[in-house]
Amino acid sequence: MALPAASRSLLLLGECVPCVKHNASKFKIKRLELDTNLLMYFRKDDFVYAHDPEKKCKTGDIVLIEQLPQKMTRLITHQVKDIIYPLGDITDPITGKKVVAGKFRDHIEEVNQVYGKLPTAFDYGKAPERGWLEDKKDFTHVETYIKYHKFKNDDQPYAV
Amino acid sequence: MNLIKSTISIGKILHLNPNLTFNNSSIRRYAFKSDLKIKWVHPGKVSCVKPEKSGDLESMPEIDQSQYQLEYRQSKELETANDLAKKLFTLEFAPRYKTTQVYIRNTADTVRRHALDTGSAETRIARWTGAIRAMQELLERFPRNKRLKVNLKELIDKRKKHLKYLRKWDYKRFEWLIDNLNIVYKPPPNEFHWVTRKGSLRKLTQKYCDDLKAERLTAYRRQLESEQPGFLEEKIRSLEFICQEQKECGVEVTVTEEEINEVKRQLEALLKERKEKN
Repeated sequence: MALPAASRSLLLLGECVPCVKHNASKFKIKRLELDTNLLMYFRKDDFVYAHDPEKKCKTGDIVLIEQLPQKMTRLITHQVKDIIYPLGDITDPITGKKVVAGKFRDHIEEVNQVYGKLPTAFDYGKAPERGWLEDKKDFTHVETYIKYHKFKNDDQPYAV
Repeated sequence: MNLIKSTISIGKILHLNPNLTFNNSSIRRYAFKSDLKIKWVHPGKVSCVKPEKSGDLESMPEIDQSQYQLEYRQSKELETANDLAKKLFTLEFAPRYKTTQVYIRNTADTVRRHALDTGSAETRIARWTGAIRAMQELLERFPRNKRLKVNLKELIDKRKKHLKYLRKWDYKRFEWLIDNLNIVYKPPPNEFHWVTRKGSLRKLTQKYCDDLKAERLTAYRRQLESEQPGFLEEKIRSLEFICQEQKECGVEVTVTEEEINEVKRQLEALLKERKEKN
C-alpha cells in the first residue's frame, strides 16, 4: 500500500478520529488537491496513525504529529508531539484565556455573578476531566454503526 | 494433441477413483454461496421518536397535581381565596399542557445559570428535553397523531444538533448537561445504508472469520505458553551439557555460568507468576 501523500511531510496537523487501537490514535489530515481540469482545489482527507501509548488524544482534538524516524508497524508511521486544541476546551493564544464559542469564559462567569449565580449551575472548578462519561452516556470515542443483526445476548451499545 | 491427453488423464482419474465426483457447487464461479450456517435475524425497525433512539434514559415522571398552574403561582388574590377556588387553580383542573409546562420549567430549573437565564445553551436543551419527554408520553397514547410525531422528531433532531454544538464549544459543560438530563449522546455513523440481507450476511461472515482467527491465535498462544517451562528446562540442560563438554574437551568455554543462571532465574520467575495467577 502506498503511503498517503500527507504522511511524507515531517510535521502534520490532524484531527483525532475514533480508533480502536490501544497504543495509537488515528488522525484525519485535511489537504487541498488541485483538479487540473477545473483549476480548483478540492478537499481531500488522508488518515494517519500515530503512536500514542497513553491515548492522550481524544476524538476531535487538533494535534501536532511528527514522523517517526522509522515505521513502528505497517500503519503506525507517526507519533504525537503536542495537543494544540483539545475539543471544547479552547485557549485563546493571544490573551491566554479560555474561550467558549465567541465569548471568554470569565466574561460569561461575570455576567452570571451579576444576575446571581445559582448553586445548581455548572461550575468549571468542580467539573471532572473530559472523558468521565465515556462509554456511559457519551459515545463519541467510538465509531457508531447501524444495527444490522439481532445477536443472542443483544447488547450493542455502539449501534444506532 | 494436448487436449486429447488431458481428457484421457481426466478419464483415468475418474476411472480409478469412482468416489471422486464433481460437486457442482465447488466449481460454481458465479453468485458465490457460503456454506457457513449463519442465520441472519433482522434487528427490527425502531421508530426514531422512541426514547431508545432519541437517547432519553428517563421518561416524564408523575407530576404532583395539587400544585398551582404556572401563571397563578405569584397570585396575591389566590392566597386569600377559599379552598374551593384554590383547588380550581391547581393542575388537577387544568388541561394537560399546563402540567407539561410545569415539567418543562422544572427540567430547565435544574440546569439554569441564574434565575433569569432562559437563553443559554443548556437551558434551551433542558427545555426541549422536557418537551420531548412529554410528547413521547403523549405519542404512546395517541400513536396516530402524525403532527405530534413530526414535531417530536424535529425537536429531537434540533436537540441533537445543539448538543453537537455544545460539545464542540464546551466539552465539560456538555458532559455535565447530558449527565444531569440523563441523555445518551451517540454520534451519527460515518455512512448511511439500508439494512439488507446481503450486507448483513457479509458483515456476519467477516465477524465469524475474525472470531475464528482470534480464537485459533489464542489457542496457539496458550499452547506455546504451556510449553515454555519445559523449553526453559531443556535449555538449562543443554547449556550445562555444552559447558561440561567444552570443559572436558579442553576447548574454549563459550557458555558462561551467568547465562545458565539467567535462564534459571527466568524459569523461576515464570513458575512464580503462574502460581500467583492460579
